[in-house]
Amino acid sequence: MAQTPHEPDQRSMPGTPRWVKVFGIITLILVLLFIISLVAGVRHGPGLHTPSGDTGGSTQYASVAAHREYQA
Amino acid sequence: MMTPRIRTFALTAHITVSVGWIGAVMAYLALVVAAMSSQDSGIVRAAWTAMELIGWYVIVPLAIAALLTGLLMSLGTPWGLFRQYWVVFSLVLTIVATVVLLLHMQTVGSVTRSMAATPGAALNGLPGELFHAGVGMLVLLVIQVLNIYKPRGLTPYGWRKQQERRTVSSAET
Repeated sequence: MAQTPHEPDQRSMPGTPRWVKVFGIITLILVLLFIISLVAGVRHGPGLHTPSGDTGGSTQYASVAAHREYQA
Repeated sequence: MMTPRIRTFALTAHITVSVGWIGAVMAYLALVVAAMSSQDSGIVRAAWTAMELIGWYVIVPLAIAALLTGLLMSLGTPWGLFRQYWVVFSLVLTIVATVVLLLHMQTVGSVTRSMAATPGAALNGLPGELFHAGVGMLVLLVIQVLNIYKPRGLTPYGWRKQQERRTVSSAET
């Protein structure tokens, strides 16, 4: 941000630049993919390693739980 | 508006923490790869512990500092916060990256605690860990490119402000 903005003075409202449209479309696609993955049942986020209904605290890492079962 | 001296200082701080954030995520990625590829439980445990430490004590502070210095730079310079599309995109991406980072660090913490509670367990890296860190890295690089190239494009709000300035300056002359 060392430079100062240098935008040409325009009497009429400028249209949305092409790069902004491309960015918007990519963002929209990524958001849709994320929503589809959630709807499809792909587990995601901090709750991934937390048993259902758990609100925090120490949680079981899948391979740790498997190891305990193996030892038992 | 900031004086040139304060502005240069704020810009130096912003660049330092932003580039530092990218560097710290690169180090984090190296640890993720080590945790995912090693069969040695001691190395995996050490990698996860280091990931948690780097996350909370380096990456999170740098992310918050980058967000705050970015806000300072936007509000204290003629660029503004909502006048240019590239500033708006940088702000939104930085906020999203910081929020996802804070949420994800909860997961890293719970995994590390889980490992500490079960010594000798056979452990591997989480597959999602590489995805999160990789996408995070990509987002930071996009922000960096936007900040360096500063692609042109006034938002409708920025255009209105430009018109207001022009009206005031033509009224003064």
